[in-house]
Amino acid sequence: MRTVLGAAGLALMALGGVLVWDQATHWDVLIWLAGAVVLHDGLIAPLVVAVGLLTGGLKNRGLLRGTLLTGGCLVLIALPLLLRPLPTANPSVLPLDYPRGLLISLAVVVALALLLGAGRRWRGRTREADVPEK
Amino acid sequence: MKPRLPAVRPPVFRGRLHDARTATSIGRWLGVAIAVCFGTGLISHYLQHQPGWLLDVLPSRPVWGYRLSQGLHVASGIAAIPLLLAKLWTVYPRLFAWPPLRSVRHALERLSVAVLVAGAVFELFTGLLNTVQWYPWPFSFVPVHFAVAWLLAGALMLHVAVKYPEIRAHWAKESPGTLALPTADGPDRRSLLSGVAAAVGAVTLTTVGQAFTPLKFFDVLAPRHPDHGAQGLPVNRSARAAGTTQVDADAYRLTVAGPRPYTLTLAELAALTQHESVLPIACVEGWSKSAHWTGVRIAELLRRAGAPPDAGVRVISLEQYGAYRVMEMGREYAHDPLTLLALRLNGQILTADHGFPARVIAPNRPGVLQTKWVTRLEVL
Repeated sequence: MRTVLGAAGLALMALGGVLVWDQATHWDVLIWLAGAVVLHDGLIAPLVVAVGLLTGGLKNRGLLRGTLLTGGCLVLIALPLLLRPLPTANPSVLPLDYPRGLLISLAVVVALALLLGAGRRWRGRTREADVPEK
Repeated sequence: MKPRLPAVRPPVFRGRLHDARTATSIGRWLGVAIAVCFGTGLISHYLQHQPGWLLDVLPSRPVWGYRLSQGLHVASGIAAIPLLLAKLWTVYPRLFAWPPLRSVRHALERLSVAVLVAGAVFELFTGLLNTVQWYPWPFSFVPVHFAVAWLLAGALMLHVAVKYPEIRAHWAKESPGTLALPTADGPDRRSLLSGVAAAVGAVTLTTVGQAFTPLKFFDVLAPRHPDHGAQGLPVNRSARAAGTTQVDADAYRLTVAGPRPYTLTLAELAALTQHESVLPIACVEGWSKSAHWTGVRIAELLRRAGAPPDAGVRVISLEQYGAYRVMEMGREYAHDPLTLLALRLNGQILTADHGFPARVIAPNRPGVLQTKWVTRLEVL
Protein backbone atom coordinates (compact mmCIF):
# COMPACT_ATOMS: atom_id res chain seq x y z
CA MET A 1 0.00 0.00 0.00
CA ARG A 2 2.77 2.35 1.01
CA THR A 3 4.77 1.39 -2.05
CA VAL A 4 1.74 1.92 -4.29
CA LEU A 5 1.15 5.38 -2.80
CA GLY A 6 4.80 6.31 -3.20
CA ALA A 7 4.90 5.04 -6.79
CA ALA A 8 1.69 6.91 -7.61
CA GLY A 9 3.24 10.02 -6.10
CA LEU A 10 6.32 9.65 -8.25
CA ALA A 11 4.13 9.14 -11.32
CA LEU A 12 2.15 12.32 -10.61
CA MET A 13 5.37 14.24 -10.00
CA ALA A 14 6.70 13.00 -13.32
CA LEU A 15 3.47 14.12 -15.00
CA GLY A 16 3.75 17.52 -13.32
CA GLY A 17 7.37 17.73 -14.40
CA VAL A 18 6.43 17.00 -18.02
CA LEU A 19 3.62 19.57 -17.88
CA VAL A 20 6.03 22.18 -16.52
CA TRP A 21 8.65 21.27 -19.12
CA ASP A 22 6.05 21.65 -21.89
CA GLN A 23 5.78 25.33 -21.05
CA ALA A 24 7.81 27.55 -23.30
CA THR A 25 8.86 29.43 -20.18
CA HIS A 26 9.89 26.43 -18.07
CA TRP A 27 13.14 28.04 -16.88
CA ASP A 28 11.17 30.95 -15.48
CA VAL A 29 8.84 28.51 -13.71
CA LEU A 30 11.81 26.69 -12.17
CA ILE A 31 13.30 30.01 -11.01
CA TRP A 32 10.00 30.93 -9.36
CA LEU A 33 9.73 27.48 -7.76
CA ALA A 34 13.23 27.83 -6.31
CA GLY A 35 12.36 31.38 -5.32
CA ALA A 36 9.43 30.05 -3.31
CA VAL A 37 11.81 27.92 -1.22
CA VAL A 38 14.25 30.79 -0.78
CA LEU A 39 11.42 33.12 0.22
CA HIS A 40 10.18 30.71 2.84
CA ASP A 41 13.40 29.25 4.21
CA GLY A 42 15.38 32.45 3.98
CA LEU A 43 12.87 35.06 5.03
CA ILE A 44 9.53 33.92 6.44
CA ALA A 45 10.76 31.06 8.60
CA PRO A 46 13.70 32.92 10.26
CA LEU A 47 11.34 35.80 11.00
CA VAL A 48 8.82 33.49 12.64
CA VAL A 49 11.55 31.65 14.56
CA ALA A 50 12.89 34.99 15.81
CA VAL A 51 9.45 36.05 17.02
CA GLY A 52 9.07 32.64 18.70
CA LEU A 53 12.41 33.13 20.48
CA LEU A 54 11.53 36.64 21.63
CA THR A 55 8.25 35.50 23.13
CA GLY A 56 9.64 32.25 24.50
CA GLY A 57 9.81 33.08 28.20
CA LEU A 58 6.76 35.26 28.50
CA LYS A 59 3.74 34.61 30.62
CA ASN A 60 0.63 34.05 28.50
CA ARG A 61 2.94 33.26 25.58
CA GLY A 62 0.46 30.82 24.05
CA LEU A 63 -2.16 33.52 23.75
CA LEU A 64 0.37 36.07 22.54
CA ARG A 65 1.72 33.75 19.87
CA GLY A 66 -1.78 32.78 18.76
CA THR A 67 -2.61 36.46 18.38
CA LEU A 68 0.58 37.13 16.41
CA LEU A 69 -0.01 34.10 14.22
CA THR A 70 -3.61 35.10 13.46
CA GLY A 71 -2.72 38.74 12.89
CA GLY A 72 0.30 37.79 10.77
CA CYS A 73 -1.79 35.56 8.52
CA LEU A 74 -4.39 38.31 8.09
CA VAL A 75 -1.62 40.72 7.06
CA LEU A 76 -0.22 38.11 4.68
CA ILE A 77 -3.49 37.58 2.81
CA ALA A 78 -4.08 41.35 2.75
CA LEU A 79 -0.68 42.12 1.17
CA PRO A 80 -1.76 41.42 -2.44
CA LEU A 81 -4.81 43.65 -1.91
CA LEU A 82 -2.66 46.47 -0.52
CA LEU A 83 0.33 46.17 -2.84
CA ARG A 84 -1.31 45.48 -6.20
CA PRO A 85 0.41 48.12 -8.34
CA LEU A 86 -2.12 49.51 -10.79
CA PRO A 87 -5.84 50.08 -10.48
CA THR A 88 -7.71 47.61 -12.67
CA ALA A 89 -9.97 48.67 -15.54
CA ASN A 90 -12.74 46.93 -13.66
CA PRO A 91 -14.39 48.72 -10.72
CA SER A 92 -15.67 45.48 -9.16
CA VAL A 93 -12.11 44.21 -8.60
CA LEU A 94 -10.74 45.45 -5.25
CA PRO A 95 -13.78 47.60 -4.48
CA LEU A 96 -13.26 47.84 -0.71
CA ASP A 97 -11.18 49.99 1.62
CA TYR A 98 -8.65 47.29 2.48
CA PRO A 99 -6.40 49.20 4.93
CA ARG A 100 -9.56 49.84 6.93
CA GLY A 101 -10.68 46.21 6.66
CA LEU A 102 -7.29 44.97 7.80
CA LEU A 103 -7.12 47.38 10.74
CA ILE A 104 -10.63 46.43 11.87
CA SER A 105 -9.92 42.70 11.65
CA LEU A 106 -6.62 43.09 13.53
CA ALA A 107 -8.37 45.17 16.19
CA VAL A 108 -11.00 42.45 16.58
CA VAL A 109 -8.31 39.77 16.94
CA VAL A 110 -6.46 41.82 19.60
CA ALA A 111 -9.71 42.59 21.44
CA LEU A 112 -10.72 38.92 21.50
CA ALA A 113 -7.25 37.94 22.74
CA LEU A 114 -7.41 40.53 25.52
CA LEU A 115 -10.87 39.30 26.52
CA LEU A 116 -9.64 35.72 26.54
CA GLY A 117 -6.59 36.67 28.62
CA ALA A 118 -8.70 38.68 31.05
CA GLY A 119 -11.17 35.81 31.32
CA ARG A 120 -8.39 33.39 32.20
CA ARG A 121 -6.93 35.69 34.81
CA TRP A 122 -10.35 36.34 36.29
CA ARG A 123 -10.99 32.65 36.67
CA GLY A 124 -7.61 32.40 38.30
CA ARG A 125 -6.90 29.29 36.38
CA THR A 126 -3.84 30.24 34.42
CA ARG A 127 -3.10 27.29 32.27
CA GLU A 128 0.11 25.43 32.73
CA ALA A 129 1.17 26.46 29.24
CA ASP A 130 1.38 30.04 30.32
CA VAL A 131 3.59 29.51 33.31
CA PRO A 132 7.15 30.46 32.39
CA GLU A 133 9.47 27.55 31.85
CA LYS A 134 12.03 26.85 34.48
CA MET B 1 8.90 25.98 22.65
CA LYS B 2 11.98 27.77 23.83
CA PRO B 3 14.86 27.30 21.44
CA ARG B 4 18.20 28.67 22.52
CA LEU B 5 20.42 30.38 20.03
CA PRO B 6 23.20 28.04 19.06
CA ALA B 7 26.82 29.08 19.27
CA VAL B 8 27.83 27.36 16.05
CA ARG B 9 26.44 26.91 12.58
CA PRO B 10 24.36 25.14 11.49
CA PRO B 11 21.84 26.05 14.16
CA VAL B 12 20.81 23.34 16.58
CA PHE B 13 17.19 23.56 17.60
CA ARG B 14 16.61 22.33 21.09
CA GLY B 15 13.26 24.08 21.05
CA ARG B 16 10.13 22.13 21.52
CA LEU B 17 7.24 21.40 19.17
CA HIS B 18 9.57 20.76 16.25
CA ASP B 19 8.47 17.15 16.70
CA ALA B 20 6.68 14.53 14.70
CA ARG B 21 3.50 14.81 16.78
CA THR B 22 3.04 18.49 15.98
CA ALA B 23 4.02 17.95 12.35
CA THR B 24 1.46 15.13 12.08
CA SER B 25 -1.32 17.12 13.77
CA ILE B 26 -0.91 20.10 11.47
CA GLY B 27 0.09 18.04 8.46
CA ARG B 28 -3.13 16.04 8.32
CA TRP B 29 -5.21 19.23 8.15
CA LEU B 30 -2.87 20.70 5.57
CA GLY B 31 -3.15 17.44 3.62
CA VAL B 32 -6.95 17.70 3.63
CA ALA B 33 -6.83 21.34 2.50
CA ILE B 34 -4.42 20.52 -0.34
CA ALA B 35 -6.47 17.49 -1.40
CA VAL B 36 -9.65 19.60 -1.55
CA CYS B 37 -7.79 22.33 -3.39
CA PHE B 38 -6.37 19.84 -5.91
CA GLY B 39 -9.69 18.07 -6.52
CA THR B 40 -11.69 21.26 -6.98
CA GLY B 41 -8.86 22.66 -9.10
CA LEU B 42 -9.15 19.70 -11.47
CA ILE B 43 -12.92 20.17 -11.70
CA SER B 44 -12.42 23.84 -12.43
CA HIS B 45 -9.74 23.22 -15.02
CA TYR B 46 -11.70 20.65 -17.01
CA LEU B 47 -14.88 22.74 -16.86
CA GLN B 48 -13.04 25.81 -18.08
CA HIS B 49 -11.01 24.05 -20.78
CA GLN B 50 -13.42 21.34 -21.83
CA PRO B 51 -11.72 18.69 -23.94
CA GLY B 52 -13.83 17.47 -26.85
CA TRP B 53 -14.65 14.08 -25.35
CA LEU B 54 -16.05 15.76 -22.21
CA LEU B 55 -18.21 18.27 -24.04
CA ASP B 56 -21.38 16.17 -24.21
CA VAL B 57 -21.10 14.35 -20.90
CA LEU B 58 -20.60 17.26 -18.52
CA PRO B 59 -23.75 17.65 -16.42
CA SER B 60 -25.65 20.91 -16.09
CA ARG B 61 -26.81 19.98 -12.57
CA PRO B 62 -26.61 20.74 -9.72
CA VAL B 63 -26.89 24.39 -10.75
CA TRP B 64 -24.62 25.39 -7.85
CA GLY B 65 -22.02 22.70 -8.54
CA TYR B 66 -19.35 24.94 -10.01
CA ARG B 67 -20.08 27.64 -7.46
CA LEU B 68 -19.45 25.23 -4.59
CA SER B 69 -16.41 23.70 -6.21
CA GLN B 70 -14.71 26.99 -7.01
CA GLY B 71 -15.68 28.54 -3.67
CA LEU B 72 -14.06 25.56 -1.95
CA HIS B 73 -10.99 25.80 -4.17
CA VAL B 74 -10.18 29.35 -3.16
CA ALA B 75 -11.31 28.92 0.47
CA SER B 76 -9.21 25.77 0.99
CA GLY B 77 -6.24 27.49 -0.66
CA ILE B 78 -6.52 30.46 1.69
CA ALA B 79 -7.03 28.19 4.72
CA ALA B 80 -3.90 26.28 3.70
CA ILE B 81 -1.74 29.39 4.14
CA PRO B 82 -1.65 29.35 7.99
CA LEU B 83 -1.51 25.54 7.95
CA LEU B 84 1.46 25.47 5.57
CA LEU B 85 3.36 28.11 7.53
CA ALA B 86 2.77 26.30 10.83
CA LYS B 87 3.73 22.95 9.33
CA LEU B 88 6.91 24.32 7.80
CA TRP B 89 7.79 26.00 11.09
CA THR B 90 7.61 22.69 12.95
CA VAL B 91 9.91 20.95 10.46
CA TYR B 92 12.16 23.91 9.71
CA PRO B 93 15.08 22.64 11.87
CA ARG B 94 15.40 19.64 9.56
CA LEU B 95 16.61 22.00 6.88
CA PHE B 96 19.84 22.25 8.89
CA ALA B 97 20.33 18.50 9.36
CA TRP B 98 24.02 17.64 9.65
CA PRO B 99 25.57 16.10 7.65
CA PRO B 100 23.27 17.49 4.95
CA LEU B 101 23.20 14.25 2.96
CA ARG B 102 23.63 10.93 4.74
CA SER B 103 22.79 8.53 1.94
CA VAL B 104 21.14 8.26 -1.46
CA ARG B 105 17.81 7.60 0.25
CA HIS B 106 18.24 10.65 2.45
CA ALA B 107 19.14 12.75 -0.61
CA LEU B 108 15.99 11.59 -2.41
CA GLU B 109 13.89 12.34 0.65
CA ARG B 110 15.30 15.85 0.89
CA LEU B 111 14.74 16.37 -2.83
CA SER B 112 11.10 15.33 -2.51
CA VAL B 113 10.67 17.69 0.44
CA ALA B 114 12.20 20.52 -1.58
CA VAL B 115 9.70 19.88 -4.39
CA LEU B 116 6.92 19.73 -1.80
CA VAL B 117 7.84 23.06 -0.20
CA ALA B 118 8.46 24.78 -3.54
CA GLY B 119 5.22 23.48 -5.03
CA ALA B 120 3.08 24.34 -2.01
CA VAL B 121 4.41 27.88 -1.55
CA PHE B 122 4.28 28.48 -5.31
CA GLU B 123 0.68 27.29 -5.70
CA LEU B 124 -0.67 29.28 -2.76
CA PHE B 125 1.26 32.40 -3.76
CA THR B 126 0.29 32.37 -7.45
CA GLY B 127 -3.30 31.44 -6.59
CA LEU B 128 -3.65 34.28 -4.11
CA LEU B 129 -2.24 36.78 -6.59
CA ASN B 130 -4.54 35.47 -9.32
CA THR B 131 -7.56 36.39 -7.18
CA VAL B 132 -6.48 40.04 -7.33
CA GLN B 133 -5.65 39.70 -11.07
CA TRP B 134 -1.98 40.49 -10.46
CA TYR B 135 0.50 38.60 -12.64
CA PRO B 136 4.07 39.71 -11.89
CA TRP B 137 5.66 36.54 -13.38
CA PRO B 138 6.81 35.93 -16.96
CA PHE B 139 4.71 32.79 -17.56
CA SER B 140 0.99 32.38 -18.08
CA PHE B 141 -0.91 31.58 -14.91
CA VAL B 142 -3.42 28.84 -15.77
CA PRO B 143 -1.20 26.18 -17.43
CA VAL B 144 1.63 26.67 -14.92
CA HIS B 145 -0.66 26.63 -11.85
CA PHE B 146 -2.18 23.45 -13.30
CA ALA B 147 1.19 21.81 -14.02
CA VAL B 148 2.67 22.57 -10.59
CA ALA B 149 -0.53 21.25 -8.96
CA TRP B 150 0.33 17.77 -10.29
CA LEU B 151 3.90 18.14 -9.09
CA LEU B 152 2.64 19.14 -5.63
CA ALA B 153 0.01 16.40 -5.43
CA GLY B 154 2.61 13.80 -6.40
CA ALA B 155 5.19 15.12 -3.93
CA LEU B 156 2.55 15.06 -1.18
CA MET B 157 1.66 11.42 -1.90
CA LEU B 158 5.33 10.45 -1.95
CA HIS B 159 5.88 12.34 1.30
CA VAL B 160 3.01 10.53 3.03
CA ALA B 161 4.39 7.20 1.81
CA VAL B 162 7.91 8.00 3.03
CA LYS B 163 6.75 9.38 6.37
CA TYR B 164 4.10 6.74 6.99
CA PRO B 165 5.84 5.17 10.03
CA GLU B 166 6.14 8.56 11.78
CA ILE B 167 2.56 9.49 10.85
CA ARG B 168 1.26 6.22 12.27
CA ALA B 169 3.32 6.58 15.43
CA HIS B 170 1.99 10.09 16.09
CA TRP B 171 -1.52 10.10 14.59
CA ALA B 172 -3.37 10.18 17.93
CA LYS B 173 -2.65 11.43 21.43
CA GLU B 174 -2.35 7.84 22.65
CA SER B 175 -0.12 6.67 19.83
CA PRO B 176 3.13 5.06 21.02
CA GLY B 177 5.33 7.76 19.48
CA THR B 178 3.31 10.54 21.04
CA LEU B 179 3.35 8.92 24.49
CA ALA B 180 7.15 8.86 24.30
CA LEU B 181 7.30 12.66 23.90
CA PRO B 182 7.81 14.89 26.96
CA THR B 183 4.39 15.55 28.52
CA ALA B 184 5.52 19.06 29.46
CA ASP B 185 5.08 20.04 25.78
CA GLY B 186 1.39 19.13 25.76
CA PRO B 187 0.00 22.54 26.76
CA ASP B 188 2.34 24.42 24.41
CA ARG B 189 1.33 22.13 21.57
CA ARG B 190 -2.34 22.64 22.33
CA SER B 191 -1.91 26.39 22.36
CA LEU B 192 0.00 26.26 19.06
CA LEU B 193 -2.78 24.21 17.46
CA SER B 194 -5.42 26.60 18.87
CA GLY B 195 -3.45 29.50 17.42
CA VAL B 196 -3.31 27.83 14.01
CA ALA B 197 -7.05 27.10 14.20
CA ALA B 198 -7.71 30.76 15.06
CA ALA B 199 -5.60 31.90 12.11
CA VAL B 200 -7.42 29.53 9.73
CA GLY B 201 -10.75 30.78 11.08
CA ALA B 202 -9.74 34.42 10.70
CA VAL B 203 -8.48 34.22 7.11
CA THR B 204 -11.52 32.16 6.12
CA LEU B 205 -14.07 34.41 7.78
CA THR B 206 -12.64 37.60 6.25
CA THR B 207 -12.61 36.22 2.69
CA VAL B 208 -15.21 33.49 2.22
CA GLY B 209 -18.07 35.99 1.87
CA GLN B 210 -16.98 36.60 -1.74
CA ALA B 211 -18.52 33.24 -2.61
CA PHE B 212 -20.62 32.32 0.43
CA THR B 213 -22.87 35.37 0.45
CA PRO B 214 -24.51 34.83 3.88
CA LEU B 215 -21.11 35.82 5.34
CA LYS B 216 -20.66 38.87 3.10
CA PHE B 217 -20.73 41.17 6.14
CA PHE B 218 -17.36 39.76 7.19
CA ASP B 219 -15.94 39.91 3.67
CA VAL B 220 -13.36 42.66 4.29
CA LEU B 221 -10.16 41.07 2.91
CA ALA B 222 -11.38 39.46 -0.31
CA PRO B 223 -10.69 41.03 -3.71
CA ARG B 224 -14.40 40.89 -4.46
CA HIS B 225 -17.54 41.79 -2.60
CA PRO B 226 -20.91 40.38 -3.71
CA ASP B 227 -22.61 43.80 -3.56
CA HIS B 228 -20.03 45.75 -5.53
CA GLY B 229 -20.53 45.81 -9.28
CA ALA B 230 -22.91 47.09 -11.93
CA GLN B 231 -26.51 45.96 -11.25
CA GLY B 232 -25.44 44.56 -7.88
CA LEU B 233 -23.22 41.88 -9.37
CA PRO B 234 -19.43 41.83 -9.78
CA VAL B 235 -17.93 41.58 -13.26
CA ASN B 236 -14.79 39.83 -14.37
CA ARG B 237 -14.39 41.01 -17.93
CA SER B 238 -15.44 44.59 -18.37
CA ALA B 239 -16.84 45.95 -21.64
CA ARG B 240 -13.82 48.25 -21.83
CA ALA B 241 -11.41 45.31 -21.71
CA ALA B 242 -13.43 43.46 -24.34
CA GLY B 243 -13.86 46.47 -26.66
CA THR B 244 -17.66 46.29 -26.50
CA THR B 245 -18.65 49.47 -24.66
CA GLN B 246 -20.72 50.77 -27.61
CA VAL B 247 -23.03 48.15 -29.10
CA ASP B 248 -25.63 49.78 -31.36
CA ALA B 249 -28.98 48.26 -30.34
CA ASP B 250 -30.61 49.14 -33.70
CA ALA B 251 -27.87 47.59 -35.78
CA TYR B 252 -27.60 44.51 -33.55
CA ARG B 253 -28.56 41.16 -35.06
CA LEU B 254 -28.56 37.70 -33.55
CA THR B 255 -27.78 35.08 -36.19
CA VAL B 256 -28.65 31.45 -35.50
CA ALA B 257 -26.90 29.12 -37.94
CA GLY B 258 -28.28 25.61 -38.47
CA PRO B 259 -30.40 23.61 -40.94
CA ARG B 260 -32.92 26.52 -40.98
CA PRO B 261 -30.82 29.60 -40.24
CA TYR B 262 -32.43 32.90 -39.28
CA THR B 263 -31.62 36.35 -37.96
CA LEU B 264 -33.36 38.35 -35.23
CA THR B 265 -33.25 42.01 -34.28
CA LEU B 266 -33.09 42.91 -30.61
CA ALA B 267 -36.79 43.82 -30.67
CA GLU B 268 -37.70 40.45 -32.20
CA LEU B 269 -35.57 38.66 -29.63
CA ALA B 270 -37.30 40.55 -26.81
CA ALA B 271 -40.70 39.67 -28.31
CA LEU B 272 -40.06 35.91 -27.99
CA THR B 273 -41.30 34.05 -24.91
CA GLN B 274 -39.14 35.19 -22.00
CA HIS B 275 -38.19 32.83 -19.18
CA GLU B 276 -36.61 33.50 -15.83
CA SER B 277 -33.74 31.54 -14.26
CA VAL B 278 -32.21 32.08 -10.85
CA LEU B 279 -28.61 31.07 -11.42
CA PRO B 280 -25.26 31.90 -9.85
CA ILE B 281 -22.44 33.46 -11.77
CA ALA B 282 -19.33 31.75 -10.41
CA CYS B 283 -15.92 32.99 -11.42
CA VAL B 284 -12.74 30.95 -11.78
CA GLU B 285 -11.16 33.49 -9.43
CA GLY B 286 -13.37 32.31 -6.60
CA TRP B 287 -16.19 34.81 -6.23
CA SER B 288 -19.79 33.96 -6.96
CA LYS B 289 -23.29 35.32 -6.56
CA SER B 290 -26.77 34.24 -7.49
CA ALA B 291 -28.94 36.49 -9.67
CA HIS B 292 -32.26 36.60 -11.54
CA TRP B 293 -31.84 36.33 -15.29
CA THR B 294 -34.56 36.84 -17.91
CA GLY B 295 -34.28 35.85 -21.55
CA VAL B 296 -34.95 33.29 -24.25
CA ARG B 297 -34.18 29.62 -23.80
CA ILE B 298 -31.20 28.59 -25.91
CA ALA B 299 -32.90 25.25 -26.57
CA GLU B 300 -35.87 27.07 -28.19
CA LEU B 301 -33.60 29.19 -30.36
CA LEU B 302 -31.81 26.03 -31.52
CA ARG B 303 -35.05 24.13 -32.18
CA ARG B 304 -36.29 26.99 -34.35
CA ALA B 305 -33.13 26.63 -36.43
CA GLY B 306 -33.97 22.97 -36.99
CA ALA B 307 -31.38 21.58 -34.57
CA PRO B 308 -31.70 17.93 -33.57
CA PRO B 309 -32.42 17.34 -29.84
CA ASP B 310 -28.86 16.19 -29.13
CA ALA B 311 -27.18 19.20 -30.75
CA GLY B 312 -24.64 21.31 -28.96
CA VAL B 313 -24.05 24.93 -29.76
CA ARG B 314 -21.18 27.25 -30.60
CA VAL B 315 -21.58 30.77 -29.24
CA ILE B 316 -19.77 33.76 -30.73
CA SER B 317 -19.34 37.08 -29.00
CA LEU B 318 -18.98 40.59 -30.33
CA GLU B 319 -15.91 41.03 -28.15
CA GLN B 320 -12.86 42.11 -30.08
CA TYR B 321 -10.16 40.65 -27.88
CA GLY B 322 -10.14 37.63 -25.64
CA ALA B 323 -9.57 33.90 -25.46
CA TYR B 324 -13.27 33.22 -24.82
CA ARG B 325 -14.76 35.04 -27.82
CA VAL B 326 -15.94 31.67 -29.16
CA MET B 327 -17.42 29.16 -26.74
CA GLU B 328 -18.83 25.68 -27.25
CA MET B 329 -21.51 24.14 -25.14
CA GLY B 330 -22.42 20.45 -25.00
CA ARG B 331 -25.95 19.12 -25.33
CA GLU B 332 -26.57 18.85 -21.58
CA TYR B 333 -26.11 22.59 -21.18
CA ALA B 334 -27.64 23.64 -24.48
CA HIS B 335 -30.90 21.79 -23.80
CA ASP B 336 -31.23 22.59 -20.13
CA PRO B 337 -34.43 24.65 -19.67
CA LEU B 338 -32.54 26.98 -17.34
CA THR B 339 -29.95 27.89 -19.99
CA LEU B 340 -30.86 31.28 -21.37
CA LEU B 341 -29.74 33.86 -23.82
CA ALA B 342 -30.39 36.49 -21.17
CA LEU B 343 -31.49 40.04 -21.95
CA ARG B 344 -32.12 41.14 -18.40
CA LEU B 345 -30.40 40.87 -15.04
CA ASN B 346 -32.40 41.34 -11.84
CA GLY B 347 -35.22 42.85 -13.90
CA GLN B 348 -33.10 45.46 -15.69
CA ILE B 349 -31.70 45.48 -19.21
CA LEU B 350 -28.08 44.26 -19.16
CA THR B 351 -25.44 46.94 -18.83
CA ALA B 352 -22.44 46.90 -21.18
CA ASP B 353 -20.30 45.21 -18.50
CA HIS B 354 -22.86 42.43 -18.10
CA GLY B 355 -22.99 41.75 -21.83
CA PHE B 356 -25.54 44.07 -23.47
CA PRO B 357 -27.52 43.25 -25.52
CA ALA B 358 -27.51 39.47 -24.81
CA ARG B 359 -25.44 36.98 -22.88
CA VAL B 360 -25.43 33.29 -22.05
CA ILE B 361 -26.30 32.11 -18.57
CA ALA B 362 -26.21 28.37 -17.95
CA PRO B 363 -26.22 26.28 -14.76
CA ASN B 364 -23.08 24.66 -13.28
CA ARG B 365 -20.59 26.48 -15.50
CA PRO B 366 -17.59 28.75 -14.96
CA GLY B 367 -18.19 32.45 -15.47
CA VAL B 368 -15.69 32.70 -18.36
CA LEU B 369 -17.98 30.43 -20.40
CA GLN B 370 -21.10 32.50 -19.71
CA THR B 371 -20.40 34.39 -22.93
CA LYS B 372 -21.36 38.05 -23.04
CA TRP B 373 -22.25 40.29 -26.04
CA VAL B 374 -23.55 37.26 -27.97
CA THR B 375 -24.13 37.84 -31.68
CA ARG B 376 -24.16 34.38 -33.23
CA LEU B 377 -25.23 30.84 -32.33
CA GLU B 378 -24.21 27.85 -34.44
CA VAL B 379 -25.86 24.45 -34.17
CA LEU B 380 -23.22 21.75 -33.73
